[in-house]
Amino acid sequence: MTLRQHFLATAALFALATPAFAIDLEFYFPVAVGGKAAETVQALTDNYMKAHPDVKISAIYTGSYVDTTAKAITAARGGNPPELIIAGAADMFAFIDEELVVAFDDLVSEADKAAWLGGFFPAFMANSQADGKTWGIPFQRSTPVLYWNKDAFKAAGLDPEKGPANWAEMVEMGKKLTVKDAGGAVKQYGVQIPSSGFPSWLWSGIVAGAGGKMANAAGNETYFNSPEAIAALEAIVALSKTDGVMAPGILEWGSTPKAFFEGQAAMIWTTTGNLTNVRTNAPFPFGVGFLPGLKQNGAPTGGGNFYLMKGNNEAELKAAVDFVKWATSPEQAANWTIATGYVAPRADVWETPVMKDYVAGFPQAAVARDQLQYAIAELTVFEGPKVTQIINSALEAAITGQKSPKEALDAAQADADAILKAYR
Amino acid sequence: MTRTDTFLARVAGWMLALLWVLPLLYAIWAAFHAPEFEAKFDLTAPLTLHNFSRAWEQAPFARYFLNTILLVTMILSVQLVLCTLAAFAFARLEFPGKNAAFALVLVQLMVTPDILLVENYKTIRALGLVDTIVAIGLPYFASGFAIFLLRQTFMTIPRELDEAARVEGCTLLGLLWRVYVPLGKPAMLAFGLVSVSHHWNNFLWPLIITNSVETRPLTVGLSLFSTTDSGTDWALIMAATLMTSAPLLLGFLLFQRQFVQSFMRAGIK
Repeated sequence: MTLRQHFLATAALFALATPAFAIDLEFYFPVAVGGKAAETVQALTDNYMKAHPDVKISAIYTGSYVDTTAKAITAARGGNPPELIIAGAADMFAFIDEELVVAFDDLVSEADKAAWLGGFFPAFMANSQADGKTWGIPFQRSTPVLYWNKDAFKAAGLDPEKGPANWAEMVEMGKKLTVKDAGGAVKQYGVQIPSSGFPSWLWSGIVAGAGGKMANAAGNETYFNSPEAIAALEAIVALSKTDGVMAPGILEWGSTPKAFFEGQAAMIWTTTGNLTNVRTNAPFPFGVGFLPGLKQNGAPTGGGNFYLMKGNNEAELKAAVDFVKWATSPEQAANWTIATGYVAPRADVWETPVMKDYVAGFPQAAVARDQLQYAIAELTVFEGPKVTQIINSALEAAITGQKSPKEALDAAQADADAILKAYR
Repeated sequence: MTRTDTFLARVAGWMLALLWVLPLLYAIWAAFHAPEFEAKFDLTAPLTLHNFSRAWEQAPFARYFLNTILLVTMILSVQLVLCTLAAFAFARLEFPGKNAAFALVLVQLMVTPDILLVENYKTIRALGLVDTIVAIGLPYFASGFAIFLLRQTFMTIPRELDEAARVEGCTLLGLLWRVYVPLGKPAMLAFGLVSVSHHWNNFLWPLIITNSVETRPLTVGLSLFSTTDSGTDWALIMAATLMTSAPLLLGFLLFQRQFVQSFMRAGIK
């Protein structure tokens, strides 16, 4: 080797060994589950950077979903958009409307379009795609399920291995599970469907179970006063008013798992995001089942998607897409699901050995996946926050008895129409 | 006032105080007991510090404490210097456009800071200060409230004191330092309390303008506990809340008398 060759070889080696940090990505992510979710995301980006030394990702924790959206919009308007964010799947139309996001389609190869984009569960893609384009990639997604207390079922003389298959069965079981003390005060209610904050999410599960839908795919028309929607609201009001199986008034979302652990409610409706929490804290064996429907199985999806933000160059966005692809790959997504309880968004994730072991030891985890074939998108429309606020207030008015379900929903539909007219 | 009146007023006072302190008492209860006792009030329940250690481990709170303390100290000291100078000028000096300038300062009181998020972000970015502690404080340095409050206080200081000092040959700055600042202290103390507690608790702007552990304040760390998808762990949240608000609470208890007095004198209620 001549000196010159030697020099060149050393230079080449040096160039290869030094991370060039050619691309610098900012990634905003919210956290909505307890435990170590934020650390899991950090570990995810760290591992990616180890394997890809030419990319540097700053994973920036940004509070709740609402805070994340506020921060991303402010940064974009201020001329400094991050490349990648995780935000609510239901915010898709808001992001399109504000021209803040870039579709994934133009940045992936034809082969990837089929293999990668095509590999996600259709229920999750329902509010990730619009106008023939893919705007969001499902990541921290969830769906509500019914949890039941097996000990309470035994005590009431019910089969502890079988949850309610439909709404009528839930009411019937609920009556047996409602326990009163000598003074007539209820010690244990049959069921708790929380209604604080965002009642429309669980309600849309009942609407789906009645065969209805929240909105059209174009996101500019809601079906709040459809017969299915009215039936769904009447059913939830009846639970405490006539059936007597649920506590009256607005029930807190945050303390529902607690009410379950303490035996104040024998069945609860809440997200699969709670699975790990219930598994660690419930002092009794519990079952997980599909949401019992009025006519059929049905549930909404929820949670967050990856979005690409406008205002970044193609090389940066392509690098971001590459990271998203890696994060949703079977091995990574399986770790994420096991750590957080979110539903793994692709069929191939459930085929990995890690995931198979997990499901074998904890079959309840697969319920959410199996329910997905019956799932509809949660309320995803233009002006999402406003329209959601309208329906949430209407539901609260009906649940607290200020309005009849039909009155409340007719008014909500009229208000939503007034807002969405502009988008038709 | 008759005896019954006094009695009723006292009872009402106690009731209000109790109502006000209840959330705090609950926070203390939940923070020092295991999660099983969140809703069960059993006086013999075992006390524990475990919630605090759990909360402390979830985020780099030591660093967040340092950041918050740096932040509120910086904001308050800059505010006091800038606003005292401005208030003195508005109260005692004559210059063209004085009234128009003061009207502009008052307009600042009418605008809620949230409307300015994007504009402030643009300014900070143009200055190259995104993700710094200075950036969190910068929009609040020239506080309209402080200028207004101090100007009103300075206006009530008798002209005679001012003139006497001038006759003795005091310079303008000397006059401010020797006459106005000492007499304006109660107002400054009252404003200091408002400013410190506001910036200690401020969340949205710090969240938006900062990205890293090195610059973020306590409130952003606290937001890790808002776990809407998995149910609320009250014991943990209450421990974290107590931990982060303890310095403020202690400070208030220690200097309670001074605060109440200065509020009375400054007329902020």
